[in-house]
Amino acid sequence: MFTRRSDLPLDKDALSRFLPWLIAFMVFLAVLALAGMLVLNSTAERWDQGVSGTLTIQIIPAANPEDDNGRLQKVLAILNRTPEIDHYETLSDDKLLRLLEPWLGAQAGTHDLPLPRLIDVELKADSKLDGETLSRRLAAEVPGASVDDHRVWLSRLVRLIQTVQGLASMVLVFIAFATVGTVVFTTRTGLAIHRSAIEVLHLIGAQDSYVAGQFSSRALILGLKGGIIGLLLAGPTLFAIGHLARQIESSLLPTITLEPAHWAALGALPLVVALIAMMTARLTVLKTLSRML
Amino acid sequence: MDIDDNKPIVSFENVGLRYGLGPEVLQDVTFSLAPGSFHFLVGESGAGKSSLLKLIYLALKPSRGLISLFGRDIATTPRRELPAMRRRVGVVFQEFRLLNHLSAFDNVALPLRVAGAKKSDIQKHVVELLSWVGLKDHLDARPPTLSGGQQQRVSIARAVIARPRVLLADEPTGNIDDRMGLRLMHLFEELNKLGTTVVIATHNSRLVERMGHPKMLLDEGWLEIVGGRAPGESQAPAHKKEFSETVLADTFSDVDDDAPGAPPDFEKLI
Repeated sequence: MFTRRSDLPLDKDALSRFLPWLIAFMVFLAVLALAGMLVLNSTAERWDQGVSGTLTIQIIPAANPEDDNGRLQKVLAILNRTPEIDHYETLSDDKLLRLLEPWLGAQAGTHDLPLPRLIDVELKADSKLDGETLSRRLAAEVPGASVDDHRVWLSRLVRLIQTVQGLASMVLVFIAFATVGTVVFTTRTGLAIHRSAIEVLHLIGAQDSYVAGQFSSRALILGLKGGIIGLLLAGPTLFAIGHLARQIESSLLPTITLEPAHWAALGALPLVVALIAMMTARLTVLKTLSRML
Repeated sequence: MDIDDNKPIVSFENVGLRYGLGPEVLQDVTFSLAPGSFHFLVGESGAGKSSLLKLIYLALKPSRGLISLFGRDIATTPRRELPAMRRRVGVVFQEFRLLNHLSAFDNVALPLRVAGAKKSDIQKHVVELLSWVGLKDHLDARPPTLSGGQQQRVSIARAVIARPRVLLADEPTGNIDDRMGLRLMHLFEELNKLGTTVVIATHNSRLVERMGHPKMLLDEGWLEIVGGRAPGESQAPAHKKEFSETVLADTFSDVDDDAPGAPPDFEKLI
């Protein structure tokens, strides 16, 4: 394919030098946008898996501390009767104080501070139980017990991520349009430059597909060249962004990583862009030739 | 493509042609060419000779009227079938229209390549034909490095390599001397004797008179056939015969470069 003999002097015009660079920039941007989209996608999935199967039950301390234990037992009894629950764990006072430390200081535990009871509940994987049902059931029997469903705030975060993902896919669509536009423009210019040679081919009986083949195979080669340059530029950029992200990573943010399948998708981008370039060149030439008799 | 020897190979009925909104450069042109006929297309410069040839080699659509090529109405022939018809029409363009970035070999090979001929056949026939027109030693030369006469021979070789049924030449003697022009005419006559229908546009009247073939006379867009048979009347094709060594020797014997090679076997060409 790379040694294909051409009847048109396509490799000698200025476009051959400038098309690969335009495509390189497109691929560069496309790789970054696609990488961002894939990272967000796996992040959203992991957050969903990590948090959505859990609830936290809080029992606000009563005026009379002796009652607290009884209420805790009542709640646990209800939890034991609920089949959707995989397991639960009552947080010890030690753990509770450690959670409060950032707000109340290390001495919080030494005061007679009334602490709520917290129970971490993990639901079964296929559970349909939602926080409100459980909350109503608990409130009826144990006043002061409430359920904190993580899914409420999580869904907002997931929605935010989805918005950003939508933006990234819009960027990808724009890049695809820009690539098509660039190739259409360069192919048309090429047609104008080589018009007389194309006419000769046409008049000696070349089928349109024969002429189009010469342009499209060139567009494929130039597209691949540009795509590979773009990918080579985008690679180090991605690694640098990944490095920075790991440095500021906190416990809240799940680790930002790309899976092998994602790397494969990014690596295939130059090929996809080159194929877009090839198809565009072919259709442009066919459309122009169809105006000749 | 089946070609009935009794049907005209080219026929025009009331053909008119105008460019854009301009005046008609051809008006009510009606004629038909029998297979194996030989015509000169004569007329003043600007009389519409090139336009008429362009209509025959399917570079232009007529503004009105009916054109049939090989018995098929061009207007109703699907566009995708036109390339195959164009391949049966060889054209020697006025300004040669060789592709300057390709070698003489590749220029002559083009019609075979676009027709999808086999590589080995292309190699064989192109070398044979270029040797025959005395350019054996210029196979790899690009047209700009060739002389006018050499370019013309490349252009003629390209026009006949695929063995067309119709050969059109637009002012082929325009930039060569009379002696060379006459040789060229002999070459066209030889191809004609093999059954090719020939139309040559020229304003070299001495040449036309000397050859004695019927004339298609164009005057301000009107066409008249002089000295030939009436339009539509068929002419039995001349007996096909091989190129004679004498004619070849006569045609290209003292051409400035290579000696002529063996005549190509046109029967075997695609």
